[in-house]
Amino acid sequence: MDGFKEFILKIGKVDRRWIFLVLAIVVFIPILTPIGMPIRATVTTKVVYDAIENLPPNSKVLVSIEYSPSTKPENHPMAISILRHLFKNDHKVFVTCLWPDGQFMAQDALKQVAVEEYGKVYGEDYVFLGFRPGNEAVVKGIVSNIRKLYTVDVYQTKIEEIPLMDGINNFSDFAFLFSASAGYPGTVEWVQYAADPTGVPMSSGVTSIQVNEVMPYVQSGQMKGVLAGMPGAAEYEALIGQKGSATSGMDAQSIAHLVIVLFIILGNAAFFIERKRSRKY
Amino acid sequence: MSSTAILGAWIAVFLTLGIFSYLYKDNPFYKTAEHLFVGVSAGYWTSIFFWTQIQPNLFGRLWPSSEFVTDSFWYKIYNILSYFSTSVFPAGGIDKGHDMHLIYLVPFALGVMMLLSLIPKINWFARWGIAYTVGMAAGLRAYGYLNSNVIGQIKGTAASFADPNLPFFSLTAPSIFNSIVILVGTITGLLYFYFSKEHKGLLGKVSKVGIYFLMISFGASFGFAVMGRISLLIGRFVDLIKYSGSEYLNATLWVLVVMLIILGYDAFKGGGKDTPVSEDAA
Repeated sequence: MDGFKEFILKIGKVDRRWIFLVLAIVVFIPILTPIGMPIRATVTTKVVYDAIENLPPNSKVLVSIEYSPSTKPENHPMAISILRHLFKNDHKVFVTCLWPDGQFMAQDALKQVAVEEYGKVYGEDYVFLGFRPGNEAVVKGIVSNIRKLYTVDVYQTKIEEIPLMDGINNFSDFAFLFSASAGYPGTVEWVQYAADPTGVPMSSGVTSIQVNEVMPYVQSGQMKGVLAGMPGAAEYEALIGQKGSATSGMDAQSIAHLVIVLFIILGNAAFFIERKRSRKY
Repeated sequence: MSSTAILGAWIAVFLTLGIFSYLYKDNPFYKTAEHLFVGVSAGYWTSIFFWTQIQPNLFGRLWPSSEFVTDSFWYKIYNILSYFSTSVFPAGGIDKGHDMHLIYLVPFALGVMMLLSLIPKINWFARWGIAYTVGMAAGLRAYGYLNSNVIGQIKGTAASFADPNLPFFSLTAPSIFNSIVILVGTITGLLYFYFSKEHKGLLGKVSKVGIYFLMISFGASFGFAVMGRISLLIGRFVDLIKYSGSEYLNATLWVLVVMLIILGYDAFKGGGKDTPVSEDAA
């Protein structure tokens, strides 16, 4: 028993760099050789899917991209899956960005899904309005008069020259909003200044770190479900039947979590053994 | 594969491994990556803000092409500006679909005042711009939070116990049990932050319950934070594996080997003994 305690204490004092190395290895191996762990959609993800699935054909949907390359592994698979679902169901998509870097992320997702996979026509099936600085003021601007805020799209084409923009004057003209968000400004601002005041339904895909912040909006019905981090994105990929980068990352995610939990248990055990010994002497 | 894509891959690999190298210890690779990130971000944001807001939405409303008259005093100023930069002030006015709104001279002036903070003698001008921004944000946010985070949350979580359709217990759907947990959690959590009375007796016990609710909340936040960080690590590893391919001239392998040799040589020579990895490196 004493030998085991000494072993635990040794692990408790191990240089943190060894822990980083172990974690790197357990993340690296499943990426190279996937195990294929099962992915089952949670209720919050299923609600997002149902909300989009139940939209009438040709619905006008606003997709707002609020993330940068730093959270691409979490947010980008969500944006791609949502766009696939929307275009598959023949909805009209309008893309805005509250983050400057979001413009590149949106451009990348639209090129892949709208152009290469579905062959959609710009200006008739989708519009890329792009980024405007101003955080929540931009959301307020879209709610009150989108044409005042966006006089040109991202390609500098005048809004009145884009056929799909006919009849779009403010946020109430959209049937649904999806916000792919990594922080401020993002989902919270869309709930506060757009969805709640107008009653237009919205869903969101957020980074894991944001889940606790937005979950109260889901529970209270202010938001229709949420895609929670990479697992949420993987669940959505499973629901639409098109596996992507989120699905392939889930094996590494699961194993890394097990290792972290193990380290937490060992670290705590070492702490309690040491405390007990220091009290004894 | 184009040479630009290959060069981009090599830069991405160098920056990724440079940042990761901090986990070993502070070193020049990390410093280079860090400084590049800060500098490029600042430059990129400045450029984007200027070309998406200041040029089209501010200058575009002050000197729109739709009301361009060469002989007018206002557009004579524009022509002088145009002399300095035709890309910002193109000939014939700015055509971004706006009419003229001279009221936008007010935010223009406030913006200039903010920049005056760089000149110590007249930096007090910046307070006007800051005061406007803070006042506007406070007013805007007060409404948003009151409507969505207070009234919206009360409306969404309040449940009628007399409702026969409301189950006593449900894991995910509204239920009497969940409503009681929310009520108890909210009240005890708030009482924990009530410092006008010493936390003894009943208040002490109730606030202790509040601590447990807060700890559960922090635990959930920590779990999600770990999940998020691992997701980002997976993203970087996926890219590193991709860039290790022969089409990118084995960028990952070469950069990794060179970095390991240099850092190993430095460690062998005993360099950087006084700069161990920071306590908050993780």
